[in-house]
Amino acid sequence: MSALTVTPEGATREEAKRPPRGDRPWLGTDRRHNLTGWAFLLPAALLIFAVSFVPMIQAFILSLQTGRGTRLDWADPLWYNYQRLLGDEIFKQTVGNTFIYLIIQVPIMLLAALLLANVLNNPRLRFKAFWRTAIFLPAAVSLVAYSLVFRTMFATDGFVNDFLANFGVDPVNWLGEPDTARAVLILGLLWRWTGFNMIFFLAGLQNIDRSTIEAARMDGANSFQVFWRVTVPQLRPIILLTAIMSTNGTLQLFDESWALTRGGPAYASMSMSHYLYEVSFQRNPNFGYGAALAYVILILVAILAFIQLKVGDKRD
Amino acid sequence: MTLPIALIMSGCSGDGGGGGGGNADDNTLTVWTWDPAFNIYAMQEAEKIYAADHPGFKLDIVETPWDDLQTKLTTLAQSQEFGELPDIFLMQNNAFQKNVINYPDLFSEATDAADFSEFPTAVTDYSTVDGVNYGVPFDAGTAIQALRTDVLTEAGYTLADFTDITWDDFLVKAKDVLAKTGKPLLSGQAGSADTIMMMLQSAGASLFDKDGNPTIADNDALKASIDMYTQLVDAGVFTEVNTWDEFIGTFVNGSVAGTIQGVWISGSIQTATDQAGNWGVTNLPKLDIDGGTNYSANGGSSWAISSNANVDLANDFLKSTFAGSTELYDTILPSSGAVANWIPAGDSDVYTQPVDFFGGQAIYADVVKFGADVPSNNTGAYYYEARDAVSAAITKIIGGADPDEALAEAQSTVEFAMG
Repeated sequence: MSALTVTPEGATREEAKRPPRGDRPWLGTDRRHNLTGWAFLLPAALLIFAVSFVPMIQAFILSLQTGRGTRLDWADPLWYNYQRLLGDEIFKQTVGNTFIYLIIQVPIMLLAALLLANVLNNPRLRFKAFWRTAIFLPAAVSLVAYSLVFRTMFATDGFVNDFLANFGVDPVNWLGEPDTARAVLILGLLWRWTGFNMIFFLAGLQNIDRSTIEAARMDGANSFQVFWRVTVPQLRPIILLTAIMSTNGTLQLFDESWALTRGGPAYASMSMSHYLYEVSFQRNPNFGYGAALAYVILILVAILAFIQLKVGDKRD
Repeated sequence: MTLPIALIMSGCSGDGGGGGGGNADDNTLTVWTWDPAFNIYAMQEAEKIYAADHPGFKLDIVETPWDDLQTKLTTLAQSQEFGELPDIFLMQNNAFQKNVINYPDLFSEATDAADFSEFPTAVTDYSTVDGVNYGVPFDAGTAIQALRTDVLTEAGYTLADFTDITWDDFLVKAKDVLAKTGKPLLSGQAGSADTIMMMLQSAGASLFDKDGNPTIADNDALKASIDMYTQLVDAGVFTEVNTWDEFIGTFVNGSVAGTIQGVWISGSIQTATDQAGNWGVTNLPKLDIDGGTNYSANGGSSWAISSNANVDLANDFLKSTFAGSTELYDTILPSSGAVANWIPAGDSDVYTQPVDFFGGQAIYADVVKFGADVPSNNTGAYYYEARDAVSAAITKIIGGADPDEALAEAQSTVEFAMG
């Protein structure tokens, strides 16, 4: 480097003021690109920070307070609301309900979505656009609207009982018994969300190189083997994405619980978020406790997402 | 996720823009209330009456279902956005204590809005906190037993056989009616405590003691009510359905031959025009325990004046209409079945007129008489929690759980909520 060679004193000082590699401006091209990138990200990042992270921090502070309505004081001890949750029988019941939905509904839904996507991806299928639209359409229906339709269908004198009566089945009080109420809710969720997840799988399938499938066929693999050993592994990132989204969505389930069953009978179908709403808005407002509930839901979502990432993400 | 929610929230407060009565012009009041056929209609009639003496007076009525109204109030109080409040809003009597105690900042005192001695105490008690009145009672929730007289005749009974009786009598007769006609006399929503709460109040009992402590466990009146309710359901004379619409449907479509509810149910009964002339109204069966009466109430609502109101105008408006105009009650009674709590209204001729739908019975005069005998109900701030807990307990008891255990559990649920 020229700076290290012996030069007149003035020149050395000139050199020293410059950054190393003095032939480059202080803002290098790489860095300028980086900063441009950040500049574009900044508005969105700030917005997310202001409308998402700030409320999260506020909610956490709120969860350490207790009191009715606006008269809130610091809880004593600070984690009182969290401690209280452990003794709350209704909360435990809602956690149980939510996990029943999660464990039964999410796997069935994802498997069904995967199979449907595979069928609809068949290049020889006719009226493909029609099938795709028909299966996706429920996802465009308002949550409350479809819940009300399901409620009407499964009423004691509703469509389903009328239909079953043709086969000599006695009327079932679908929404009045704990197990059937949960089953109807799960059925509703499946109807509403399977098509939604199918679209992700379809998009994933488009990205799979057909030659890998043809190669497997050439090697004598049957359809199931092709699906299970070739297609599914290549869809892994999409499966992971939908699994995390569905888990997240189910843990935060509210609309169906509210509109379809009102959480009944006797809290047997109430979801955690529905209970949160009850605690905050329907009963004597206890926003501190509600915020603590929200944080428990957040922690559960985070733990489950973490586990799924660990199990599902096999990238090197 | 959060961004759309934030947008929705700001959207909501925008919708509330009808509020802010204080800053609107001096001759307009904004009102939140929920039923176009009932309380909205009553407000519109009140507007006409008041405008006749006060030219230029106008109401801006915003239809707000009760559940939304409660959520809006909570949200506004919580965010201290009192400027979004209307001048006047309607509030369920059972929720009045809770809201005044939790959010006193939402209300203006209504002491000047009526002469409260002209209302039954059982009704003004709902909206009185620490001796101060916060609401002008609107419709009475006085409970009635409405029965299909043609079905009774078919079984060999008359309305008199169901008047001033006990629940035990009722059970025997209702079973007989069911055996002879195939029709149950009662129906209700499964998991709703409506019927139990009416039984309880009829005996002057409640879910709380005077100091506001829950008395769900070891409450003899409650146990007697639940025991009777279970017997009614088991005997098949009380049909349980899941939703309110189904409940209304049971007697409108004629599969159930009666109902016990607040008098406001008479509006729904009269939608069954094919049954005109075949209904009769009498008092409730009573519990065979100390303090049992044949009178009770369910529901009912009162007008509250908000802290954001044009207080003088709102007071004067309510005083000249809902607490001072027989003309108003004469208009709204026949068309909407809104039975007044305001005692002077009961003297009006309109109340003594026979109602054809009810076989020429002057039911509203009867209801006003019932209303005077309704025992006061101790609601308190935790009424809804207690009611929900009891509803859950009833569901479990009907499902076969031990009543004492289920009620003890309900008691601890309420204590937990209060803790």
